[in-house]
Amino acid sequence: MKERRRRKLMVEPPSSATGDIAFNLIVFFLVCASVQPDSGRQQTLPRSEQETQEQSENIEVQLGRNTVMLNGNILRQQDFDAVLKRALNGKTRQEDRVVIVKSKADTPYYHWVVVTEMIESAGGIVTIQTEEEQQVIVPGG
Amino acid sequence: MKIKRRTSQADVPSMAMGDIAFNLLIFFVILARAQDDSHLQWQPASAEEINASGTAKVAVLIDNENKYYVNGQQVGASQIAAEVDALLGNTPAGERIVLFKVHREAQALYFEPAIEAISEVGGDIVHVLEQKQE
Repeated sequence: MKERRRRKLMVEPPSSATGDIAFNLIVFFLVCASVQPDSGRQQTLPRSEQETQEQSENIEVQLGRNTVMLNGNILRQQDFDAVLKRALNGKTRQEDRVVIVKSKADTPYYHWVVVTEMIESAGGIVTIQTEEEQQVIVPGG
Repeated sequence: MKIKRRTSQADVPSMAMGDIAFNLLIFFVILARAQDDSHLQWQPASAEEINASGTAKVAVLIDNENKYYVNGQQVGASQIAAEVDALLGNTPAGERIVLFKVHREAQALYFEPAIEAISEVGGDIVHVLEQKQE
């Protein structure tokens, strides 16, 4: 007796579900992308009226492209922390702990972040003072 | 003679539901992308201690070409204060968080006016940074 050949069955995936699959995939990637929160450091800057009143007594930090000066003295970045802590030592009033940060125009943000982080960790309150560029034109050469 | 009315069934094709939802989703994704800043080019500076920033209504960004963006829209330096103020509205103090995203190489000439503008309108600046790797 001859055996009958088995019937070949075509199994097609249900095409009506592809839309739903794509939809669920998109939702999945969307949720993955939106869950990443930003992280960073909060900074509260005091109002400008306070800084002008107390300016003479405050510590002044000047930043250059890769230099840091504290009250006019050039310091290495690794020494800055200790020197600043010493300068802030004994200053209990909040207004005395204000540290004025003056940056040169070419000071990069990464350098500014490192120095202001040191100031805040030493207990100082960062305030910025921008340099106003003035062009003097001499009349009549 | 009485004529019988034909009743015809009009069903919404359920086959197309997935595609409709898919297209709707793409529409909203594109709409949302216009307001975010994920397409902008910048590299965060690094710091030793960073915390989760929480939710913020406003994000100010300075990209690698020193251009200013408020919630993904390009603005001029002089417009930052007004834009941030409008977006913060009457948000009470303490909740006026402004994410500040600055390219690590950006110079003080560009980021300091932005800091001033944000603090001028009472925004609480959160510098968006990455953890320093030892």
